[in-house]
Amino acid sequence: MILRLIAQRLSLAVGTLLVVSALVFFFTSVLPGDIAERVLGRESTQQQRQIFRKHLHLDRPVWERYGVWIGDVARGDLGRSLVNDETVTSTIGTSAKNTLFLSVFAFLLYIPVTLIMATVAALFRGKLPDSLISVVTLVGLSVPEFVLGTLLIFGFAVKLSVAPALSIVSPGDGLFTRLHATVLPAVTLMVAMAVYAIRMLRDNLIDVLDSEYVRMATLKGVPRWRVVMRHALPNSLGPALNVTALNLTYLIGGVVVVETVFSYPGLGKLLIDSISVRDVPVVEVTALLASGVYIVANLVADVLAMVLNPRLRTS
Amino acid sequence: MGATAVELPVAVERSRFHRFLRRFPMSARLAALLLIVYVLIALTGPLWTPYDPFQTSTGLPFSGSSGAHLFGTDILGRDVFSRVVYGTRDVLYLALTSTFLALVIGGVIGLASGLVGGWIDELLMRLFETIISIPLLVLALLAIAAAGPKGSGNSLLLIGVVVLVYAPRIARMARSVAVDLVTRDFVTVARARGEPVRSIVWRELTPNAAGVLLVEFGVRAGYAPILISSLGFLGFGARPPSPEWGLMISENRAALVTAPLTVLAPSVALALLVISLNLVTDGIARALGRTVERTP
Repeated sequence: MILRLIAQRLSLAVGTLLVVSALVFFFTSVLPGDIAERVLGRESTQQQRQIFRKHLHLDRPVWERYGVWIGDVARGDLGRSLVNDETVTSTIGTSAKNTLFLSVFAFLLYIPVTLIMATVAALFRGKLPDSLISVVTLVGLSVPEFVLGTLLIFGFAVKLSVAPALSIVSPGDGLFTRLHATVLPAVTLMVAMAVYAIRMLRDNLIDVLDSEYVRMATLKGVPRWRVVMRHALPNSLGPALNVTALNLTYLIGGVVVVETVFSYPGLGKLLIDSISVRDVPVVEVTALLASGVYIVANLVADVLAMVLNPRLRTS
Repeated sequence: MGATAVELPVAVERSRFHRFLRRFPMSARLAALLLIVYVLIALTGPLWTPYDPFQTSTGLPFSGSSGAHLFGTDILGRDVFSRVVYGTRDVLYLALTSTFLALVIGGVIGLASGLVGGWIDELLMRLFETIISIPLLVLALLAIAAAGPKGSGNSLLLIGVVVLVYAPRIARMARSVAVDLVTRDFVTVARARGEPVRSIVWRELTPNAAGVLLVEFGVRAGYAPILISSLGFLGFGARPPSPEWGLMISENRAALVTAPLTVLAPSVALALLVISLNLVTDGIARALGRTVERTP
């Protein structure tokens, strides 16, 4: 039953991804400017440009090019960058690893911060810590990432000089060097994600703390911390997981801004740079990858929700 | 004769409005006051700013705060205070018009789609889901890039892009409200009377969905300045010499050490605006007995 539902969602996701790829291809294929002139330079002859266009199939209609492209992508051939003639796979590979590192770092910070802040707010409901956390999260969700990042640079790089203003990493760097280089962007992403999750988890926790079985446990004489750890938290994580999956999808847009603020060589910065120089093959694959992760994250959220809440399985 | 016919609904409206006001929390009132100040600044700014926001060399480049330049000057010697004031116009205008347009377009399509149902509904919703599954900022960047250098910095393009990313999300929400409403008696009766879709959407669905749509408008309006200024910051939104805050922050970042106010002033202006919008939205939601759902 549940397997069939998952299979159904999965096929839907693949379908969505196909349509998304067509949308992305359409958007990028109307990117203005003559690619041939840009790549070959102004001195190139008309004939050279013709050959180049033919080589890239630019003389064919859009839908035909889309068919060829999607066929290549399905076979794992992502094409070559127009800027440095490297394969798109290798260009994106390095950036993807960097973004993955930053995202995992931000996520590892995000989980404890969310759990602790939400639990404190729920336990001190209506009192000072709760109001304080409520104000902080409100400010957090009102400050754009690029402002928060700039403020962090101002405080920790300029004033205190404890962290670098630019997150420059090279392939040979050790773990500690990398962590030090990416601490400010990771904190920026963490805050941007945690503010939503803290509010959500706090409200869930309060609902659960008010429920019959938690009151029962308290009346039975179970210590407060045990009530929270064993009863309240596990039962309020379900809905919060959904926010976490949404946060995962947020990360994909968030890294674009944050990586630009800190000049971190990840997928987000790659997308901005390749749009700026009209490196169409790289833009297409990066945007498709972003949508793919988004769709998969949503799929995982749906499936998790179904596993955790059997009532959803009937719909 | 017209007097009684007009007075009665006004009286009802007023008492309802009073009840709404009574439930409007203090924080939201203060925020509403601040929003009014923002609007006043946007409207009257040109009358009292000390400098023309585009005039260069009003002082030394990146000179810090002084009597002549409250927030200092930028790299071209332009007065940052005047620019922040002028930026209020740009940000408010772009954020509010685009969100309102998205609300009208998304709302109407969503409500009508939920009412009509069938394959049209199915097709529209699949299309919107697909658009939604391209991350918001990525879609905005692609759309702006596709418009090309001619369109870049054009405020109509920016408004169009915000509508493109918001309208499907609003439509999906409005549709779920409509699907809920169409099972009610008053819609069934209206259908039985043979009312056209347009009139059912306008007379039956819109008034009943108004509360949800208003809160949705607030949530989106609260995020719109962030989206618009982020695009400006990335170099895909407003173009120089526009005093849009995101662009200004990106231009003045080089002077973070020597003249920090040139960055902090637009940052605080932006953050306070968004905080006020969010507080007012939370207040409206509470007064209407609704919850606000903010997702990243």
